[in-house]
Amino acid sequence: MTFTLTKCYSPFVSKFDPCKPVLTKCYSTPPNLYIEFQPNNTEQFPTAKEALYAGTLWPCLYDPYYSKRGESSG
Amino acid sequence: MTQQKPLPDSYYQLMEQIQAVDFVLVELTLYLDTHPHDLEAIKQFNQAAYESRQLKNQFEEQFGPLMQYGQSYSSYPWNWKEAPWPWQV
Repeated sequence: MTFTLTKCYSPFVSKFDPCKPVLTKCYSTPPNLYIEFQPNNTEQFPTAKEALYAGTLWPCLYDPYYSKRGESSG
Repeated sequence: MTQQKPLPDSYYQLMEQIQAVDFVLVELTLYLDTHPHDLEAIKQFNQAAYESRQLKNQFEEQFGPLMQYGQSYSSYPWNWKEAPWPWQV
């Protein structure tokens, strides 16, 4: 996997901002952005249950999509 | 409120198996929409469809109909109104 699942940037903070500045903002970049056309017979999860729990049949498309609530982006 | 009889564990295990196989079918359906010539995926799809039918028959023999309007056979007496419906579980 040569790509990251989330990208972040830091918005411009002006001295006139009324509220507390948001220093970093992140957004999700799922694997399907980086796979132009899914080739045939891509590797699959060994069992249906694992596929169900992962939310996709193909590990290369798996994106855990961690919730941002964990780390504070203040 | 009538005392609710607890469901056996096999109910949940079988239901989860059905859910897993049906999820594979959903994924393969979407995949095959864009890959109509992928023979391996079609074989896997038919295999999963057969398996899903088997699991549902097995489930319905023990726990009654999963679907209605003729999708599932009915046992005697008509027990569709009895809880739990599959989506209530």
